[in-house]
Amino acid sequence: MSNPPLKRHPLRSASTFSNMSRRLRIGLVAGLGLLAAGCAQDAPQDTWDPAGPNAQMIHNLQWPVFAIAGVVGVIVLTFIAIIIVKFRDRGQAIPEQTHGKPALEIGLTILPALILIGVAIPTVGTLMALNETDDTECIVNVTGQQWWWEIDYAQQDGCGGVSEPIVTSGQMIIPINTPVLVRGTSRDVIHSWWIPRLNGKKDMVPGRVHTVRLEADEPGIYAGQCTEFCGLSHANMRMEVIALTAEDFETWKAQQLAPYEAPIGDDTLAATGEATFVAQCSRCHQVNGLEDADGQPVIARPDLQVYSGAAPNLSYFMTRNTFAGATFDLLNNECRDDVWDSDPATFGEKYLAGVSEDCLNSVDLREWLRNAPAKKPMYTDPAELAETDGLVRGMPNLALSEDQIDELVAYLLERK
Amino acid sequence: MFTTGSKLLIGASVLAAISAIAYGVAQDGVMGTVGLASAALALAFLAGVNIYTRDSNIWDDEISSVETAPAAARPPANSIWPMAFALGAAVLTVGLVTYQAVFVVGVVVLLAAGAEWTAEAWAERASADAGYNAEVRSRIANPLEFPLAAAIGIGIIVYSFSRIMLWLSKTNTVIAFAVLGVIIITVAFLIAYRPGLKSKAAVGAIAVGVLALVAGGAAAGLDGEREIKEHETTEGLTEEGEEICLSPEEFEADEKASQSVAASANVAAEITLTESGSFELDVVGPLTEGSEAITLPRSNPNNVIFINESDEERRLSVDLTVPPTDAAEDEGPLLKCTTLVEPGGRQNITLTIGAPSFAAPDGYFFFVPGVESARLELIVP
Repeated sequence: MSNPPLKRHPLRSASTFSNMSRRLRIGLVAGLGLLAAGCAQDAPQDTWDPAGPNAQMIHNLQWPVFAIAGVVGVIVLTFIAIIIVKFRDRGQAIPEQTHGKPALEIGLTILPALILIGVAIPTVGTLMALNETDDTECIVNVTGQQWWWEIDYAQQDGCGGVSEPIVTSGQMIIPINTPVLVRGTSRDVIHSWWIPRLNGKKDMVPGRVHTVRLEADEPGIYAGQCTEFCGLSHANMRMEVIALTAEDFETWKAQQLAPYEAPIGDDTLAATGEATFVAQCSRCHQVNGLEDADGQPVIARPDLQVYSGAAPNLSYFMTRNTFAGATFDLLNNECRDDVWDSDPATFGEKYLAGVSEDCLNSVDLREWLRNAPAKKPMYTDPAELAETDGLVRGMPNLALSEDQIDELVAYLLERK
Repeated sequence: MFTTGSKLLIGASVLAAISAIAYGVAQDGVMGTVGLASAALALAFLAGVNIYTRDSNIWDDEISSVETAPAAARPPANSIWPMAFALGAAVLTVGLVTYQAVFVVGVVVLLAAGAEWTAEAWAERASADAGYNAEVRSRIANPLEFPLAAAIGIGIIVYSFSRIMLWLSKTNTVIAFAVLGVIIITVAFLIAYRPGLKSKAAVGAIAVGVLALVAGGAAAGLDGEREIKEHETTEGLTEEGEEICLSPEEFEADEKASQSVAASANVAAEITLTESGSFELDVVGPLTEGSEAITLPRSNPNNVIFINESDEERRLSVDLTVPPTDAAEDEGPLLKCTTLVEPGGRQNITLTIGAPSFAAPDGYFFFVPGVESARLELIVP
């Protein structure tokens, strides 16, 4: 009597991966990569890490909705897999064909409807709660343009009192534990304001004023970026919300309303830089209090040069940590890490110190002054400006000499 | 001697040759003439090849094959599409040297005739049954033909309608189309409630109506639009405009001015003139009660609603005049204002302000002509 032939099994060994088809291997690696991305530690734009009550409301809604959708998805996919395997074509006879099963059809209609109602009630409630503006205690105007955000604080009793308007860009400063009303609009195309750790997105549309609330629990930097495609440098249109204690916020306001201090001396690099700034930059960039050689106030008119009609106000340039639409850091890496990684108790002090000569990221700033469109894509080529009647969208190459760049850097370093 | 395929190529070659001569004489252009003459030569060469190969490599001595080939089968009826195709080509060529619109018409005619000709030629050889072939053609072509024909027909009627509307005076427009509406309803009533009415009569009546409309539209279009008077507004203010914004009196721009605002959801601020002659301010957000100044962003359209709660007609004005600077030449006085607003009415004014308020020696102010106490500082950072 002979033994039955042995059934051969493929070897389970280290060669399993190499035996997989190319597509399967790529899919597996991509899947693992995506999974690993969820473990990122340095993720300043994480919607799953709320840092204020508004973002917390969204978080409280999204995780149960995600869980419900996940369970439904698993059930549906499991059934599909069972049906594919169990009823696959093996040459068997076609089963009896039936039509209609009222109880099942009604059940499969009512069940999803109930699930959707269960999701809709808290969703609508959260949306209505997020749209409330009556309890806000501070108003900040946000205006988007290609490709930076202007942030201004109107004269108001809120925000602890703002006696004169404050205009800045790239970084919005807010007091912690204070509901802030952001009134947003745009000067050119539709942009979208999104600080993931503080609240959801809000489109900023030309001619319309949209509102969104922000509130941060702790001092720190909360990063965001434009989330509505807005042209060439959309990916470089970023912003940050800086949350400070009430005391530090008052200090910041005082910084922003301090009178202009001209560079000391006539032959210093900064003093020469002031003249260079008036000659080269002041047509678009406002520095409050700056006067020309005749003692007349220098009034920037970006509306005559730039398509959006605006350019960043540089009065207190070195009190912020970023420039060019928050695309580049004004702080070098060491000082930047020192501010970003500081604990809430010391954050305000470090942020308010501004940018010193030792901490300045002079490489990026000099490259920007040397040829801005080469650093960040913008529509500034004179040959391509017919559509905008010669107005630029972004900062053009001013063809500055190295000496002029040195002078401007020295002058700008004193703008705080 | 001439095969089916060669006839088209010969015709096109002759057309290109004529066009080359016409272009050379009319436009005195070398390059265009050379191009068209080259096209004529190339097409003539292709026609010769076609004749030599008898359209499908069937030699001259195989007469029986030629006679029984599908291409030799006589079509059931004469076709209009080759002629339309040639017309399209001619119009296209003329359009190349005259107007772009003519060229576009030529392209459209060429494509439409080509598509129809292709569908027809294909359907005619689908089977030996002419009836079946016609059905096949309808099945393929009608889903495209009917919507397109309907769209073109409706477009012509609507365009004719609009030309007549713009030609007639405002009063006569109302009368003419009231009469037309009555006629259409009457005809429709007759068709619906008189089954005995012959369909040919109904179709004839509609055809006459459509033809009259199209003819009227063409005549009106050629004669041009009636004179449409532009009413004066407070926008783009000139010296007269300044006078308007500084005066509580009524001007032409104030006649029939709107007293309500539809887009109140996107306002930057509401400014109310109270019965006592003072301003009340309301901006988006909760912190403005009692404010004596309003802040609006620079270089951005700001919608401001003016509400008049006083007892008289009033307008809201703002002076945005700035002196010339190194960055900007003298732009002259710049006043903006609403038209007169009735008591209880409201109006929108959109302000896009390029210069900051500190550029003006006295800043910017909202004011109401004739009411000294109504004054509100406008801050533009």
